[in-house]
Amino acid sequence: MDSLHAIGFYVSSGISLAGALGVALLPRRDQRGAALGLVGLGLAGLYVSLSAGFAALLALLCYLGAAWLIASPQYRSIEGVAGAAWRQMGAVGGAGLLAVLAYSAFRGDLVHAVYYGGEFGATALSRLMFARDAMATEAVAALVLVVLAGATAAWRVRERGR
Amino acid sequence: MSVDLVAVFFVAAGLVAAGAFAAAWRRDLTAALAGVPLMFAGAGVAMVGIERFSAAGGPHLVGQEFAVLLAIAAVALVALGLGVSGREGSR
Repeated sequence: MDSLHAIGFYVSSGISLAGALGVALLPRRDQRGAALGLVGLGLAGLYVSLSAGFAALLALLCYLGAAWLIASPQYRSIEGVAGAAWRQMGAVGGAGLLAVLAYSAFRGDLVHAVYYGGEFGATALSRLMFARDAMATEAVAALVLVVLAGATAAWRVRERGR
Repeated sequence: MSVDLVAVFFVAAGLVAAGAFAAAWRRDLTAALAGVPLMFAGAGVAMVGIERFSAAGGPHLVGQEFAVLLAIAAVALVALGLGVSGREGSR
C-alpha cells in the first residue's frame, strides 16, 4: 500500500470515527442523520483505500439512505423501558467491548495455535468463511435477515390485533 | 506510512464499540437504532481488511461481497425499525 492510500485510509478512519461519535452523542435526529452520512462517507473512503471500489459505492449509497431515514422527522420517538442504571451499564459494556476488540486487534491474529486441521487464527478462519464456505456464510446471513424481517412483521401484526 | 491488518482492526473495533455504545446509551429507541449501522460498518471494515491483507497467495475471499451484504442489511434494519416505530400521529 503506497503513501497516498495510507493517508486516505487514516483520513477516512478519522472521518468515520468522528461520525460514529456524532451518531452516539448528538442530541437531534437531523444531526445524527448527518453524522451517519459522515460515517458512510468515511466508510466509502476506507473501502476505496483498501481497494474495494464497488463495495465503497454501494456502502455510500446504503449509508446515505440510512442517514436520510434516521434524519427524517416523520417517525415517532419511542422511549425505551430500560432505566438509567441499565443504560449506564450498557455504555460501560461498550467501553469494555472496545478494550477487548482493541486488545484482540493488537494481537493481530487472535490466537496462534495448531490443530489437526491446520493453522487456527483469523486468517485461517476467514479463509474458511469467505472462501471455502462462502455460500454457506452468505446463506446464514440471508437467513438471519429473513428471520429478523419475519419477526418484525409478526410483531407488527400482533400489535395491530390488540 | 503504511497500513496493516492491525490498523484496520483498530478502526473496526472503534466503529463496533461506538455502535454498541449508541445502542445502549440512547434513551430513544429510534436513536438507538442508529447504532446498528455503525456496528455493521465495523464488521464490514474488518472483512474488507481481511480480504485485502490476508488473501495474498491464497484462495479468493468474499470479504467485499459480505461487506456489501452487511451495508444492505444495515439500511434494511434501519428501515424496518423505523417502520415498526410508525409515523407521527399514526396511532
